[in-house]
Amino acid sequence: MRWLECLLVVLLMLVPFFAFRSEDLATYVYWVVVTAVFLVYTALDTKRWAYE
Amino acid sequence: MNSFIALIVFYAFLGTAIAIYARGARSQEEYFVGGRRISGIVSALTYASTTYSAFMMVGLVGLSYASGVGAAGFELMYLVGTLFLLSYYAPKVWKMGKEGGLVSPAELIGSRYGDITAKLSAIIALIALIPYTSIQLIGVALILEKNANLDFSIGVLIAAVLIALWAFIGGLRGVAWTDAIQGFLMLSAAILAVVWVSFKVDFSTISKLDGLLYVPNKIWTPKLFAALTIPWFFFALTNPQVFQRLFIPKDKTALRKMIIYFGLFGLIYTVLVTLLGLELKLMTLNGDFPSISYRDDVTPTLLTIMPPWLSLLIALSILAAAITTANSIILTLSSMISRDVVRERGILVGKLAVVVLTVFVALFALQKISYIVELAVLSSTILLCFLPLIIGIFHFERGGRITGVSTLLVGFIAAIALSYLKLSPLGIPASVVTFFLTFATFFVVASFEDRKVFN
Repeated sequence: MRWLECLLVVLLMLVPFFAFRSEDLATYVYWVVVTAVFLVYTALDTKRWAYE
Repeated sequence: MNSFIALIVFYAFLGTAIAIYARGARSQEEYFVGGRRISGIVSALTYASTTYSAFMMVGLVGLSYASGVGAAGFELMYLVGTLFLLSYYAPKVWKMGKEGGLVSPAELIGSRYGDITAKLSAIIALIALIPYTSIQLIGVALILEKNANLDFSIGVLIAAVLIALWAFIGGLRGVAWTDAIQGFLMLSAAILAVVWVSFKVDFSTISKLDGLLYVPNKIWTPKLFAALTIPWFFFALTNPQVFQRLFIPKDKTALRKMIIYFGLFGLIYTVLVTLLGLELKLMTLNGDFPSISYRDDVTPTLLTIMPPWLSLLIALSILAAAITTANSIILTLSSMISRDVVRERGILVGKLAVVVLTVFVALFALQKISYIVELAVLSSTILLCFLPLIIGIFHFERGGRITGVSTLLVGFIAAIALSYLKLSPLGIPASVVTFFLTFATFFVVASFEDRKVFN
């Protein structure tokens, strides 16, 4: 299950290789947002073992 | 006195004072992992300062300048991989370290695959990380040469003294506390650099960056992206200097804080550094910044046009980034010599190893051998041989001593041979081939070898 989450986030990080080709900062912003969202997810997810 | 030398003297005194305050470790656990009593914030900052070397403000700025947003994607892919690996494996590794009294990263491997595998792991880590650490000294010496007009060899000597002194006196606690302060310095300098450059950039002309704004482009092909990201994605598990930091937080809450604050630091620092490279490229296209053909010259050129105070601060932050990475590696390698190779009970050999390894690294740096950069880059591929063994501890029931030794040897030899012969079989990058070869070796040999608990 955890490795599926990993696969999902890796695939999300690879999306710009297939879906973006604009001459603005869309690719850059996309990568930053995906990483930031994953960081928030990690912060919430780690509560599970931190307070057990 | 040259103002940069004055700044270095202040930096050296401050760091040494902190290391002296942190001294007093008598046991290996105190000296190498801070008695497992490090707070979440300090753990996060030492993790970040150890991870992010001078490569960020020099190499990654230049890479973003030359190759565009793909550089940000590569570095953020590393961060995502690290967050995933830490959120899943860090609590397990921390618990094993605490319950088993583990100090060196190789001990964890040895607890499952035997002492001989632990010893071999220590030797491979030494071979892989000495050129990488030498690069940090070369970076510091070049900064001192450029900003303080010091001879290259004097610069190497100063870097070596700073690296060895703080680790020797204060052990992990000294390194972690100095790392924490330097982490703030690295982040602050990057923020100021981006703010200063942002006032000079005309963002309305962003489309001039053209192919640098998307991937794939001429440089960031899927093949290059895979070749670079695969070794870096697993950095948190394969690089002993960061892996050992999983033993240091005082409790699970501190461990969680370490992961989250490191992630936040990494995200902000990566955004700042890559944005800086893109901004400078745009300035070049608008005629406001010289055109740079050798990408590692981008940051040094930027320093020449900045106000002197800001230029000095950024130079110091680059120096700090190099020192923090180097002394963490030296201390970790020393712990492996002390615990896994010599198997001493005290810390005498460990402390001597700090000095001897630093001398060795400095001598290596002074040779200025042409292929040192290739060796340093190769380190992440060599260290991939640890990955199946560490993952196997948590997910695979089979495998022991033979599995450990054969996996390490195949991974190590494959990484060296493919790099030396410049081979990429079927067009697949050497790092990817090494990755699959080590896992294949692990699974094949482990399936024939029963598990044996050593400790």
